[in-house]
Amino acid sequence: MRQVAILGAGMIPFGRRDEDSLVDMLSYASLAAIDDAGVGDRPIDAVYVGNMAAGLFNHQSSVASALVDRINLLPAAADSVENGPASGGSALKNGILAVASGYYDLVLVAAGEKMRDVIGPVATDVVATMTHPLAEYIYGATLPSMAAMFARLYMEKYGVTPKHLAQVAIKNQENGLLNPYAHIHMKITLEGILTSPHSVVNNPIVADPLRLYDCCPVSDGAAACLLCPADMVANVAADADKPRVVVAGFGQATDTHTLQERQDPTDLKAVTLAAQQAFERAKLTPQDIDVAELHDAFTILEIAESEHAGFFDKGEGAKALEEGQTRIGGKLPINPSGGLKARGHPVGATGVAQVVELVWQLRGDAGERQVKGAEKGFSINFGGFGNNVVAFVLRRES
Amino acid sequence: MSELVAFKCQKCGHVMYPKHQRCLNCRGREFAALPVSGECTLLTFSEVRNLPWGIDERARILGVVEFAEGFRAMGWVQAAEAEVGMKLEAAQEPVRTIRGEQVRGLVLRPVS
Repeated sequence: MRQVAILGAGMIPFGRRDEDSLVDMLSYASLAAIDDAGVGDRPIDAVYVGNMAAGLFNHQSSVASALVDRINLLPAAADSVENGPASGGSALKNGILAVASGYYDLVLVAAGEKMRDVIGPVATDVVATMTHPLAEYIYGATLPSMAAMFARLYMEKYGVTPKHLAQVAIKNQENGLLNPYAHIHMKITLEGILTSPHSVVNNPIVADPLRLYDCCPVSDGAAACLLCPADMVANVAADADKPRVVVAGFGQATDTHTLQERQDPTDLKAVTLAAQQAFERAKLTPQDIDVAELHDAFTILEIAESEHAGFFDKGEGAKALEEGQTRIGGKLPINPSGGLKARGHPVGATGVAQVVELVWQLRGDAGERQVKGAEKGFSINFGGFGNNVVAFVLRRES
Repeated sequence: MSELVAFKCQKCGHVMYPKHQRCLNCRGREFAALPVSGECTLLTFSEVRNLPWGIDERARILGVVEFAEGFRAMGWVQAAEAEVGMKLEAAQEPVRTIRGEQVRGLVLRPVS
């Protein structure tokens, strides 16, 4: 297997992008990645596009074919990859394998979702189609309701409190203020969302115990990476001296479709297994990681994933958060980008957006939210409700 | 008896709901339909205030219950207030209309 470098990274600001179609957004992000890589008009061998539900959100299919035509990557091989909210991670994994295997050299991975074409309740329904059609969907199960039922169990078992959940939201929205690509640029306080009498109005219940600020926004957005074999960087990149980020390892694991069929529904086994695989491949441990982007679609998930990925013992994630260990400047900054909570979560785009943020962090290009001296990064892209999880470990080559 | 049917693996006895073509425990492929009594205990729940398109209600309590037969399932909890550990009774009733068709599922009510 060849070592794979992330030669270019590109992204567009997430948010409500009424003027842009899905393919517009994928095109802008792809061209940004190609330009960042400095490969000019050099032919690209293959394209993988991560997207969850263009058919339902935008009445469009075959998005990869549309993208290669729009930005003239013809006649590159092109595939759309769908894996729910982990579509981006899965597309990237496929691109990495294609380069690592030696079959293709230059591979573009783009990922995007345009969710704001539909009204809120329809978006909620589209996202809910990933639940089990007979055992969950028919009841009106939504992803917030799945996270809420998980949160009730997790909070009881590990002593996580509503204050801890609010602290995740406050930290990530603070980080989002420093990220020009984030959907949400708004500072929030504990008084405003939890402790004052107004908090019940500011922060209404979505699915108890989860409130509005425990949930990520519904966003439009796209992100892209250009991959090549690490030993070819000097031949294809205009600026071969730019810090080089390589994929040290990835992992992917699945779990039962429904939450309730798991022996212990508080155990996110697929997160643990995907992270372990990624660390083993990278020959690194959680202690080696300088910065992590975790899939905080709901605040409880940042805490639970930080434990399941091996950064903290079970029940210690909330404590680490409280102590400020996961802030920028802390021992292990988590979601310096603002995470899904503030950057936004255009479902199919997220897995690639997380990796784009890590590339910027590892190169020292993350501006005001830069984690000083970061050399190794980690991400979790959480599909379904934890039934299909992709993890990446990235490393800056010295 | 409720109308709910679970699936018992003929090789290892593991009880599953919903249906799988291979046992989640031993990968066995033969199952016997297991009628379910309907008595169950609430393990977790959420009052869902932002329901998806197609459900015309202000809020609905969804919960996961454990049945006496040893498996768990999600259902619609119809109780004034839900509490973890409460005893419920399951019945199969209409739960949602999907593409014009009424779909039946588990409705869970406090044991009377």
